[in-house]
Amino acid sequence: MWKRTPLAILNLIHDRRKFVTSLGGVGFAVLLMFLFMGFMNALYDSQLQLLNQLNGEIVMINRLKSNMFVPIAFARRRLYQARAYAGVEAAYPIYISDANWKNPETKKTRPVRVLAFNLGDPVLLLPEILAHLDQLKLPNTAIIDTKSRAEVGPTQAGITTELAERQIQIVGTYSIGTDFASGNGNLIMSDLNFLRYFANRGPEEDERSFATADLGLIKVKPGTDIDRLVAALQQNIPNDVLILARDGPEGFVARERAYWQENTNIGFIFTLLTTMGFVVGIILVYQILYTDVADHWAEYATLKAMGYKNSFLFGIVTQEAIALSLLGFIPGFLVAALLYKLAGEATGLLFQMTLQRVALIYGMTLAMCLISAAIAVRKVQSTDPAEVFG
Amino acid sequence: MRLTAAESPDFADLALAVQLRGLSYYFGQGDLRKQVLFDIDLDLPTGQIVIMTGPSGSGKTTLLTLIGALRSAYQGSLRVLGQELVGLGDRQRVQIRRNIGFIFQAHNLFESLTAAQNVEMAVELLGDFDTKRAKAVKVLTQLGLADRVSYKPEALSGGQKQRVAIARALVNQPRLILADEPTAALDKKSGRDVVTLMQKLAKEQQRTILMVTHDNRILDVADRIIDLVDGRLESDQSFDSFGQSHDPQSRDRRTLIL
Repeated sequence: MWKRTPLAILNLIHDRRKFVTSLGGVGFAVLLMFLFMGFMNALYDSQLQLLNQLNGEIVMINRLKSNMFVPIAFARRRLYQARAYAGVEAAYPIYISDANWKNPETKKTRPVRVLAFNLGDPVLLLPEILAHLDQLKLPNTAIIDTKSRAEVGPTQAGITTELAERQIQIVGTYSIGTDFASGNGNLIMSDLNFLRYFANRGPEEDERSFATADLGLIKVKPGTDIDRLVAALQQNIPNDVLILARDGPEGFVARERAYWQENTNIGFIFTLLTTMGFVVGIILVYQILYTDVADHWAEYATLKAMGYKNSFLFGIVTQEAIALSLLGFIPGFLVAALLYKLAGEATGLLFQMTLQRVALIYGMTLAMCLISAAIAVRKVQSTDPAEVFG
Repeated sequence: MRLTAAESPDFADLALAVQLRGLSYYFGQGDLRKQVLFDIDLDLPTGQIVIMTGPSGSGKTTLLTLIGALRSAYQGSLRVLGQELVGLGDRQRVQIRRNIGFIFQAHNLFESLTAAQNVEMAVELLGDFDTKRAKAVKVLTQLGLADRVSYKPEALSGGQKQRVAIARALVNQPRLILADEPTAALDKKSGRDVVTLMQKLAKEQQRTILMVTHDNRILDVADRIIDLVDGRLESDQSFDSFGQSHDPQSRDRRTLIL
């Protein structure tokens, strides 16, 4: 096979300008699919980036908390109960509340999410957070997520503004990213400071205390069978709380993702857009292949007259399609990678280019080119070599 | 089945390259069915150059495509290189075509391939990958293109391109060559060179050539000239007698007498 004259490739690259235009067309379709898939995955992945950072294998939440957006807490004594089970090394309560944040520059208030925990508990092991633990012990201090949205204003240490109508000083920054539930940004503070802000919020707001927690994090001893421990905990601890492994197909992270997939139109909209990119790609590649076949009609017909079979010509068009899919994919991928980076910086969402997703998009690109080839090849196959005469 | 002209013993000593008996052909079906060839008998002995002339629409090209196994014949008998073509299926006709060299009015070379690669496409049909370059260079050299082997068609003159196309038709040493107006796109000298080459090959290597042409300048290379009018063989004669009967002066004299 490799000894054959590589007619398909040579035909494809013969006209350099047309070849570059063709690659641009395929690359553009690839880029469209990457972008739409990217936005969809970014919206899902972003919901999970905080959860994936939590330092614990098992999560405890109120049974009614169907997703992170629901502000329902559970009794903290359930966490103490869990500590009694073999295999549990520690159980940490995490307190979460929304609060109004005043942008220090525009003075407009915006809702942000406040995350609090005992500074002695290793809940989040990000080095940026660990570095600021001492400063967080001071009253009325917090650290802010640098990936918070622009509406929050400047995110840097030293800012003094108001949170829940109370003065707050930013003593540091960290970087996790926003999601649906976090509103415009994230703050982290100590559990004592959390009480200062949320224990007495006025008549119409829920008062918070250490009696309840929003998220319980259970750290297990090394070598523990997590699934069995989860089952044991769930069976024996009163079922006002839900106990889930953090990871795994039935885990807390997967449940959160499933919630957003099933309860929003994100998937539908972006799948539709990705499909449109796919169809645009089919049309573009069909145009390219059909033009090649039509331009070289007499040459292909001559090959048939000489004794080449339809299957050979089908092979030529298929090879052109595969070459287009490979060569067009590379620029599309590179531009998409750049745009992922830029979009991630602009929105604070998490744009991940995983191997699996790259493989999926390439699979779609290949399918796109092969479908186009199957349509375009009918032109070659219907070519009657007798018509070349006269 | 891979069959080369050289390997088939019966091609070499075949007295008749083409034998037609009572061949008729129709276009269309049902009420629109129109007969274009009427009961044609024709023998082409091996080693002859036969030129077919006739007004346009007389069925020349149809006859050429039938002999070239590009169309299916249904009525009469059509033996090409010893094989009966009437009633053959598409796949079998593809096999037959591999033993025939086709030369078209246009050169039909791939612009993306060099002269040698265009010729090699024909060699590859026989599955002959190791010697394809040597074969292509050899036949191009015979046609005076030794220094143009690696040129792409856009860098060749019209005559050179047509010679590459002829090289592609000849490289597999087919016993039968079918040419359709091979000189139509060429100037006088190039056209002359091309047919002289074809004549030389026919004589030296016992090729049979059937050529359709309107080009009066090249009629002298023919051993025979056959005239097809309205789907019927009108005349079949040598070049000399054709020249007398088609001499404008003698014809004019006759019309004057009438």
